[in-house]
Amino acid sequence: MSTVTMLMQLGKGMISTAGIFFLTLLFSLPLGLIVSFGRMSGNGLVRGVSKFYISIMRGTPLMLQLLVVYFAPYYVFGLNLRGYRFPAIILAFCINYAAYFAEIYRGGIESISVGQYEAAKVLGYNRFQTFFKIILPQVMKRILPSITNETITLVKDTSLAFVLAHAEMFTIAKQIAAKDTSMMPLMAAGVFYYIFNFLVAFTMERIEKSMGYYK
Amino acid sequence: MGKNVLLEINHMSKGFGELDVIRDISLSVREGEVVSIIGPSGSGKSTLLRCATMLERMDGGELIYLGERAAWEEEGRCVYAGKSRRKEIRKYFGLVFQNFNLFPHYTVLKNIIDAPVCVAGLSKRDAVERARMLLEQLGLSDKEQAYPCQLSGGQQQRVSIARALALQPRILFFDEPTSALDPELTGEVLKVIRQLAKEHMTMIIVTHEMQFARELSDRIIFMEQGVIRAQGTPQEIFNSKDERVREFIGKFAG
Repeated sequence: MSTVTMLMQLGKGMISTAGIFFLTLLFSLPLGLIVSFGRMSGNGLVRGVSKFYISIMRGTPLMLQLLVVYFAPYYVFGLNLRGYRFPAIILAFCINYAAYFAEIYRGGIESISVGQYEAAKVLGYNRFQTFFKIILPQVMKRILPSITNETITLVKDTSLAFVLAHAEMFTIAKQIAAKDTSMMPLMAAGVFYYIFNFLVAFTMERIEKSMGYYK
Repeated sequence: MGKNVLLEINHMSKGFGELDVIRDISLSVREGEVVSIIGPSGSGKSTLLRCATMLERMDGGELIYLGERAAWEEEGRCVYAGKSRRKEIRKYFGLVFQNFNLFPHYTVLKNIIDAPVCVAGLSKRDAVERARMLLEQLGLSDKEQAYPCQLSGGQQQRVSIARALALQPRILFFDEPTSALDPELTGEVLKVIRQLAKEHMTMIIVTHEMQFARELSDRIIFMEQGVIRAQGTPQEIFNSKDERVREFIGKFAG
């Protein structure tokens, strides 16, 4: 296979990889916030369930979770879902990353001083306004470096979608490498991942800087 | 000077676990009055203020603003007015914190106008106009677009006073407003409070600044171990026969 064909193939895979990446972020960032609310809930049951969820998601391999999410409908419920492969991948990534994000949010939220809540309360803000106007913007600024870390890990984790034979970049690179008995596709994939992450890090740094106007 | 009672506290009590921090405190504050609360650390001054501003739930007693009950006792338990009532009652007072608690991600102007616009429903134009007037009064006109982290402690505290005043409260509470400031910056904050006293703002001030309390207050309350040990005009308190009061004031007078 010519180098150009290979790069084209990998490029196609890259689009698929980017798809997993963006969709996962889109859903898992808000989901993580909801889970973190559960984790900090005054209700013991809600808190317990959230804690258990986080513990399972962080305590088992993502690869295993991908397999479970994909095969469970058939093996457990006997459902034969068509076109479930890609949704299953997104679902598995989302529930996994939401658990990590939840703990990052929790750390951020708990680091905001009680005084901010009290000032908001005395000024008459309701709970919703207090959280979304006063607390969350400060939390986002504080947790951004941790979010960047997770985001970069996510770029690389998308390669795990190969266990469900999804044609993302890593899966394709492996196939070409096997067919051509060449290291080149794998090296090229590495370069692609690196460039992707370089862009992610660059973007996150810009966002961090844009929030740097206050301490 | 008006004579209506703005705040009435009857038999307030508050404990944390085994510890009784406030024991059966009653006091009322009339319109235009400046009341200072002094006393040693752990005497319950700040807790009294936090209960009065509903940041802390009291265990017993009655809390009344302008004749409206915010909390009262029923069958030996303290009950609070419903959420919307409490929200209305909160509009009667403002609170200035020891640590300012400005919102760090908002500019000075936004800190001051946000609550009037988003909570009190004032138009942005009116809120800005009001904020600019306050900033000018407090000598901060050039800091409108600054962020709290760019200001000195004294400036931050003045902004937080402006923020409280922007909601036009009937009573302004101060919780040790100068304790986080060095002596040089203390002066500029005290000057602002003095100015407010001249305009007959009703104020309740927890403070360690004895001379300030003496010069400014209509009444001084001396607290110790959760009770009001003595109260009276500055003259009465500073010439008190009570041994504990004399000892405490003596310590501060040097």
